[in-house]
Amino acid sequence: MTQAPGAQATRSVARGTDDVPWLDTMVLPAASVLAIVVGYPVVYTLLLSTQDYNLLGTTPQRFVGDDNYRKLLLDPTFWLSLRNTAIYTFGSVAIAALLGLALALLTENIGGRHGRAARALLLTPWAVPFVVVAFLFRYMYLQNGGAINALLLAIGIIDAPISWLNVSSLALPAVMVTNVWTMTPFFFLLLAAALAGIPNEVIESARVDRARGASLIVHIKLPFLRNALLVSSLLMIIANFNDFAKIWAMTQGGPGYSTTTLVVYVYRLAFENFSIGYASAIGVVWLLLLLAFAVAYLRALRMT
Amino acid sequence: MGTGLPRRSVHVGRVVQGVAIALALFWSLAPLYWMLATSFKTELEAASLAPTLWPHEVTVANYVGLWSGSLPFLDFFANTLFTCLATAIVAVVIATPAAYALSRARFRLRGTIGYAMLLFRMLPLVVLLAPLYLLLLHARLLDTHAGLVVGFVTFGLPFAVWMLKGFIDAVPIEIEEAARVDGYTRWEIVRKVVVPLILPGLLTTATFVFMEAWNNLIYPLTFVTTLEKQTLPAALVLTFTGQFKTDWGGMMAAATLTTLPLMIAFFAVQRSMVRGLTTGAVAGA
Amino acid sequence: MAKISLRNVEKRYDATLVLRDCSLDIADREFMVLVGPSGSGKTTLLRIIAGLERVSGGEVFFDDARVNDVDVGDRDIAMVFQNYGLYPHMSVYDNMAFGLRRRKLAAADIDTRVRRTARMLDIEPLLARRPRQLSGGQRQRVALGRAIVRDPAVFLLDEPLSNLDAHLRVQMRAEILKVHRAVTATAVYVTHDQVEALTMGDRIVVMNGGRIHQVGTPGELYDRPVDRFVASFIGTPQMGFVDCRVERSGDRVTLATQSARIEVRDPHRRSLLGDPGVTIGIRPECLTLASGSDAQSAEVAVRGNVQVVEMLGAEHYVHVATDGGALTARVPRHQSVKVDETVTFAAAARDVHLFDRETGRALR
Repeated sequence: MTQAPGAQATRSVARGTDDVPWLDTMVLPAASVLAIVVGYPVVYTLLLSTQDYNLLGTTPQRFVGDDNYRKLLLDPTFWLSLRNTAIYTFGSVAIAALLGLALALLTENIGGRHGRAARALLLTPWAVPFVVVAFLFRYMYLQNGGAINALLLAIGIIDAPISWLNVSSLALPAVMVTNVWTMTPFFFLLLAAALAGIPNEVIESARVDRARGASLIVHIKLPFLRNALLVSSLLMIIANFNDFAKIWAMTQGGPGYSTTTLVVYVYRLAFENFSIGYASAIGVVWLLLLLAFAVAYLRALRMT
Repeated sequence: MGTGLPRRSVHVGRVVQGVAIALALFWSLAPLYWMLATSFKTELEAASLAPTLWPHEVTVANYVGLWSGSLPFLDFFANTLFTCLATAIVAVVIATPAAYALSRARFRLRGTIGYAMLLFRMLPLVVLLAPLYLLLLHARLLDTHAGLVVGFVTFGLPFAVWMLKGFIDAVPIEIEEAARVDGYTRWEIVRKVVVPLILPGLLTTATFVFMEAWNNLIYPLTFVTTLEKQTLPAALVLTFTGQFKTDWGGMMAAATLTTLPLMIAFFAVQRSMVRGLTTGAVAGA
Repeated sequence: MAKISLRNVEKRYDATLVLRDCSLDIADREFMVLVGPSGSGKTTLLRIIAGLERVSGGEVFFDDARVNDVDVGDRDIAMVFQNYGLYPHMSVYDNMAFGLRRRKLAAADIDTRVRRTARMLDIEPLLARRPRQLSGGQRQRVALGRAIVRDPAVFLLDEPLSNLDAHLRVQMRAEILKVHRAVTATAVYVTHDQVEALTMGDRIVVMNGGRIHQVGTPGELYDRPVDRFVASFIGTPQMGFVDCRVERSGDRVTLATQSARIEVRDPHRRSLLGDPGVTIGIRPECLTLASGSDAQSAEVAVRGNVQVVEMLGAEHYVHVATDGGALTARVPRHQSVKVDETVTFAAAARDVHLFDRETGRALR
């Protein structure tokens, strides 16, 4: 039942079904769930962001217009958390994507049982629950008794145990390493699949043209991976922005604010300080930033 | 014919490749081994200043402690299992018709709704938490598993729709048209023709939602107040204080058990998951 | 059994007009073929008859009843899709029974019908298998069987043979016609292959660019094409066209190019000719190689330069270029022609078709 891909594409584009009544009942449940449980909170959040609302406070809830937004602009912790989020997200995703790509290319031509086994094993980090990863790495990062220090000492890279999670300058990178460990298999999985999807004829004609090694990878294979890379990166960036579990379970945003990302900051504001109004304002700004980013990203995607 | 490279270069290349893969395997698996090994160590050995590669004294006390200890670990496990399964089922049931509609119908808002699904995942959920909390409060669903499932479902629904849509797109439309010619209504077609054909995709999506719910820390932390009703991620965080703060052996045992269901689920559907993610990713969002 | 009428049917997708002003009458039990190049709208027209698409304008009648708003499942039709559209997760038996089950027929009744149809198509041994275990030809039969077993009033077939290899295709053509004779139903058959159209259709609809160009029997289409498109689409090898000037001197009217001279004697034809010029069309089998005196005395003589000679066994196809257009001639084996040679062909005046140079319409 094979046919030219182009034929199928034009047929399914040209064909539509223009009877619509069933449509409503099919989309309705999903749409209404999302409308209620997401739509309503979104609207309410916008409202909250314009108010001085502190659940613990003695002052009653009152409308303050854009006071929260002004406060936000001047709040150094906000900017710090924004910076941390950017570094954490884009840094982790970039490294994980590169590693995933390297793994995909490395294991590409290993076939058979060994290949399948290797690939399956390399995927395991992704199947570990985030909280578990956080605690595991927290254990491994211990200054005294941690496996990482023990290993590095044994190899001779360092000569005294380092308190990874308690030193401001080291905490964020340490947490990022954990993040990369979890994320790499995702990229590996997708990129390996995309690599396998490159038509043989393309590779063969490249070899006839005497393309080899690095040149083969960069000029021939990478363009095929571009779409998969972009979309998976977008998915992971979005996921990372919301990444609460890993950081919270490892450092709670500390030491100080060195690992506080937007999520952590907002959580603490809302559920430790109970300044819901201010937290909502930050949330709104966050959403706008992400929207702008996504639009730009999707436009770049559309152009491929 | 050959690759044109001198033989020794090929050989060296192979060795380098082998070493690189070995390193990658070590990087991926060592932490997991560490988790497993620690879970069989005594509390003392687990916290020792000089970590041991292999437990000098192998013990199952940690696991036994989870079963019969002071913390209701079994409850946590059961709670998590129940809520995540319920979430997976509910999400897939709601998402399938929506995904079908997005896949087959031509209506003006189609592209918008598709992107909206992607957009939902970008929402700063931590911020929505407060209104969501109030919503559940009014509906008397706070501190209940039902309320938690509601939260989980909204989190997983957009992605489920997106993923299922990818699977449904792959079903040739002629099969559905043949069913229409045979006189079947849309709902019947979804039930009798489309669903059987995307069964692997359904399972994969359900597993994905299941995994996401299993990983969710922030919702249980916020919505559930009674410890006995808590799920594993939140329970791990909440109980790792006080006397348990240095019980790494116990923690790793709990960690291992928390990981197992997810591992099993993941590897069961791994191949189909790739296909689902690839058709979406490679073909474009 | 049903007769089908289309009145001024129009179809647009968003802003694009895909079918314009299509009117057609299909008689009861007729085997009607819709033929045309890709994108001509023939499949869209078929799907409108089926009810899988709704019209943007115009009306569709089955037996004088307006069916515009009748859903596809209620139209008593059966359809064979280009890619067969078999249900992959069901056996051949279930594929054929699926539609009948919907209509709540008794199980025994369904069984008889399925087996009878399977026997007719020689697929009885395959009833327990799944589609993926069948060859292309077998799947095609199952798709046919699924349509037949419903005993519909109208059969619709959307290029069912285009995925088969050439040999199978010829075989299945005959099978389909045999089946059509056995059942008493109207059939509408879509194809892009004009040979298929000519050999199978009672009548043929030639379509292009969303418009119906001509409806007629194979003979009518071949001998009296209504415009240049139909003339060039029907017939292999293709009809050759030459643009000519109209020259009048005295009471002689000649069509001329540098390489051709055609005298027009028939008064009716003379009256059709207008300035500045006209396009003539000649079918390959009407051209004979002429030399010397034969060339002089022929009613129609065309000189051209040989571009390609295709050897086909019993004859050659000789493609020549003239200053007004290209022609193809069928030349018997024993007459040898070489590339780049200048040759002259003769033809009879009555074999010359006249077409308006701008509109392409035939001048009769």
